[in-house]
Amino acid sequence: MALDPKIRINLDRSRVLLIDDNPQALEALNSMFRGFGVRKQFKCSSGAEAMQVVKSQELDLIVIDSSMPDMDGYDFVRWLRREAPDISKFTPVIMLAGHAARSMVEKSRDSGANFVVSKPFTPEVLLQRVFWVAKDERQMVVAEGYVGPDRRFKNMGPPLGMKGRRKDDLSTHVGAATAPNMDQSDIDMLMKPAKVQL
Amino acid sequence: MSEAEFVKVKYRLAEQVAQPGGMTAGLANERAQRELAAHAGDAMKSLGNMIGRLEVMCREKTATLDVVYVEGSTILDIAGVFDKRVLCDACYSLCELVDRQRTHNRPDWASIGVHVSAMRLLWSKDGEDPASMKSVVDGLWAITDRLNP
Repeated sequence: MALDPKIRINLDRSRVLLIDDNPQALEALNSMFRGFGVRKQFKCSSGAEAMQVVKSQELDLIVIDSSMPDMDGYDFVRWLRREAPDISKFTPVIMLAGHAARSMVEKSRDSGANFVVSKPFTPEVLLQRVFWVAKDERQMVVAEGYVGPDRRFKNMGPPLGMKGRRKDDLSTHVGAATAPNMDQSDIDMLMKPAKVQL
Repeated sequence: MSEAEFVKVKYRLAEQVAQPGGMTAGLANERAQRELAAHAGDAMKSLGNMIGRLEVMCREKTATLDVVYVEGSTILDIAGVFDKRVLCDACYSLCELVDRQRTHNRPDWASIGVHVSAMRLLWSKDGEDPASMKSVVDGLWAITDRLNP
C-alpha cells in the first residue's frame, strides 16, 4: 500500500548518509533525497569512506547499496552495529538490494539493516521506507550472531499501511481521528448504567 | 553462549519527520521525480555503454563469469534507481543465470548472449509496448530456469 500523499513529512533537519560505489546511482539518490527536502547529505562511494563519516558525524539515516567492491553494504552494517561509536551504532539503515546471489542470502538476513528495498524502486517507495524507518518501534537485539532490529514483526504489528502476512496481524498504529473528540458528558453517558426496556 | 540483550532505541528521525513544516508526501514525491528526471538521459547513455561492454564479452568469450555478473549487477544498480522495471527484470534474469552457471561451474555464452541481445532491445525500446517486452523477459526466465539453482 502506498504512502498517503497527504501525510506531512519534515526531513529539513535530517542528516542522511548515502553510500553507493556507482557515481550515477549515488547522484540519483542524492537528487531523490534533495526532493524529499533533506538539506544535509553526506555522499560516499565506499564503505571505508563511510566509516570515517560515521565516526565524525551524527547521522539520522543511512542508505546503502548492498553490492559494492571491497566492503559491501552488509559488511558495513555489521561493522556499524558492532564496532561503530555508541552514538551511531543503532542509526537506522535502509539497504538497497539488486540481485541476491545465493551466497549472499544469509549475509543479507543477518546484516542488521532496518529495511531492505529491492531494485527497481521509485522515489515513492523510498519515501515510504524512510517513513517506516522513522516509525520503526522494534527493539534492537544485541546477540552473539546478530545485532540489529528485532526481526519479529509479530508483536509490533506490520509497518504502517501494510496488511501483514498472518491473518491475525493487526497494526498497533492508531490512525488519525476522523470525527471530533467526544465531550465529557458523552463519555459519562457511556459509563453510566442505564435501564433498558427489553 | 551469552543471552541476547534487547535495547529500546528512540530514533531522532521519528521526532524530525513529525516537526511542523516540511511538505506532504505527495509533494516530496513529485519533487524527487523532477530531480531524478534531470539525470535520466545520462543514465540511459551509461546503460547503453554497459550493455555494449557485455556484447563485447559475449563476442570474445574470455571474461570470467564473475566479471559478467559484476557488469550485470551494475546495470541493475543504475536501472533500478531509475525504475527501469523491464530492463531490471531482464538484468535480474541475467544475474541469476550467471550465478547459477558459476555455482555449477558451467559457463554458457549462448544463453548469456541471448540475455544481452534482449537487454539491448529493451534498452532501445525503453517504455514502449510493455506487453511484448514482458514476453521477452518471460522468455529469458525460461532460459534461466533450465538450469537448477
